[in-house]
Amino acid sequence: MAKKGIPEWLNSSLWSSSPSPIPDDRPLRHTPPAATTTVAPSPPIVEHPSLSPSPSTAPAPIRPPSNSKSENNDLPNGSGGIDVTPPTAAEDVSRKTQVVAELSKKVIDLKELRKIASQGLPDDAAIRSLVWKLLLGYLSPDRSLWSSEFAKKRSQYKQFKDELLMNPSEVTRKMEKSKGGASNDPKLQAPGALSRSEITHEDHPLSLGTTSLWNNFFKDTEVLEQIDRDVLRTHPDMHFFSGDSAVAKSNQDALKNVLTIFAKLNPGIRYVQGMNEILAPIFYIFKNDPDKGNAAYAEADAFFCFVELMSGFRDNFCQQLDNSVVGIRYTITRLSMLLKHHDEELWRHLEVTTKINPQFYAFRWITLLLTQEFNFVESLHIWDTLLSDPEGPQETLLRICCAMLILVRRRLLAGDFTSNLKLLQNYPPTNISHMLYVADKLRSK
Amino acid sequence: MVLVLALGDLHVPHRAADLPPKFKSMLVPGKIQHIICTGNLCIKEIHDYLKTICPDLHIVRGEFDEDARYSETKTLTIGQFKLGLCHGHQVIPWGDLDSLAMLQRQLDVDILVTGHTHQFTAYKHEGGVVINPGSATGAYSSINQDVNPSFVLMDIDGLRVVVYVYELIDGEVKVDKIDFKKASTSTSAP
Repeated sequence: MAKKGIPEWLNSSLWSSSPSPIPDDRPLRHTPPAATTTVAPSPPIVEHPSLSPSPSTAPAPIRPPSNSKSENNDLPNGSGGIDVTPPTAAEDVSRKTQVVAELSKKVIDLKELRKIASQGLPDDAAIRSLVWKLLLGYLSPDRSLWSSEFAKKRSQYKQFKDELLMNPSEVTRKMEKSKGGASNDPKLQAPGALSRSEITHEDHPLSLGTTSLWNNFFKDTEVLEQIDRDVLRTHPDMHFFSGDSAVAKSNQDALKNVLTIFAKLNPGIRYVQGMNEILAPIFYIFKNDPDKGNAAYAEADAFFCFVELMSGFRDNFCQQLDNSVVGIRYTITRLSMLLKHHDEELWRHLEVTTKINPQFYAFRWITLLLTQEFNFVESLHIWDTLLSDPEGPQETLLRICCAMLILVRRRLLAGDFTSNLKLLQNYPPTNISHMLYVADKLRSK
Repeated sequence: MVLVLALGDLHVPHRAADLPPKFKSMLVPGKIQHIICTGNLCIKEIHDYLKTICPDLHIVRGEFDEDARYSETKTLTIGQFKLGLCHGHQVIPWGDLDSLAMLQRQLDVDILVTGHTHQFTAYKHEGGVVINPGSATGAYSSINQDVNPSFVLMDIDGLRVVVYVYELIDGEVKVDKIDFKKASTSTSAP
């Protein structure tokens, strides 16, 4: 799987100050939630120079929201009335209070929460962690049930770990202990010939039997090696995930554990390259939860949320289903149809004139849920919308992909096969909230 | 969980053509971490074959080995255990427990692996265990014509070693298991 395509220099602030390449096509600009530190390439938005250790460079852990709030208040609003509604600090505060108000209710109204979240969540680690847990169905809306749910799920995960991550010698030892085997106290064993005990053919390390513990263990080793390699390649530019620090190592181990347990519990799809990219943002959010109790159990929470998210998308990863009605090929065809429905000229140019098979670009967009196309912070915002939209993540994803294509239509219509493919495989940085707004407009009535 | 294969006395090509096919099918690369060989392979081709099963190979010299560069004895540490390796023709009387115990004390090891008698044995005496993996090809020895092919696989896990004995009896592979726990290095009894 190709690594993140956008090179460092493309994300630097140098590019964000130049005018966006799509001048006229965009409809009325949507108010971006300015609490978010958008890597906005377009000039009308208020420049946030003080926020310039920007997310375009290796994203540091999420800045505490209080900083961004105060900075918003200091900067002048709007630069010469280009937009209808320039971002105001008041609006972000109101959005944040809306979210907080919703979250503090005894029984949370999920529909209401979804509506608020689909416009973007404030960059507060605690809020996002909680909202994602609710949106993914990990926590029920009733606040009073939370502590029991947490306890149950976390202990279940611990059980999984104990059962599935043990190697065969530990397993056999445990089995013997439970059978109350004779004590192996060396003092009691008299010198002389050691007693031999006959065992069945399945239990020994070189066994080739299908039910043998050992054989299955060695077969799993290949999957584990693949997981290991992919985890080491996840987000190499982020200190959270990669590098030699103890923090990075423990995070990598947590990712490995989650993916291993998922692979063992789902022998149908095991592990496929790319699942690490889907797990990474979930784990990141939960681990950076300011509440220490929650952060300590980030691994367990991330596991269940990952399972929940994968349940919708697992068909994309199953090779046998590639050509079927639920597989990835069909999904890409649906994207194509959606584009044709909304922008026939562009569709014709892409598919017929320049003959770009949508698989060349859409495959990565869809299977990895757009984590590789934008930088980490931006993909978090996209995921806010993705997870909260009542139509479901699959549908929303297709609409966002369609919006991505429509936003660069000028360049696509002017380009040929090579330049279009290059553009789509290295999607240029754009205003995320605008993109999400366009995607929203594409909603079928 | 370290898997150590112990075998020896193959006597290829003089007394046997090759390992039994049932043994060969079980010995696949990737599962075993170390191989210790008591000697008498005798030729380089067997050495290369063992190297394909596991790159970490330790051999000592048997009296019929064609490669004169192997040493007479070897010691290595795997996990918490010290293993000693010697072919056994040097220890007289051949296969005698007390003499082997003397060698074990000399080498200062917990597990001594020797061969030469082409007969699987596993003895315990105070201080350690003496294991003879027998002959992996079933080659005849100077004292015994009727030999069952056998080898040993040890699973070393902390202070405990599980010895799996693989024997080919009447064309069938029989596997036995022996448990051995080393007294912890502290003086109190477990």
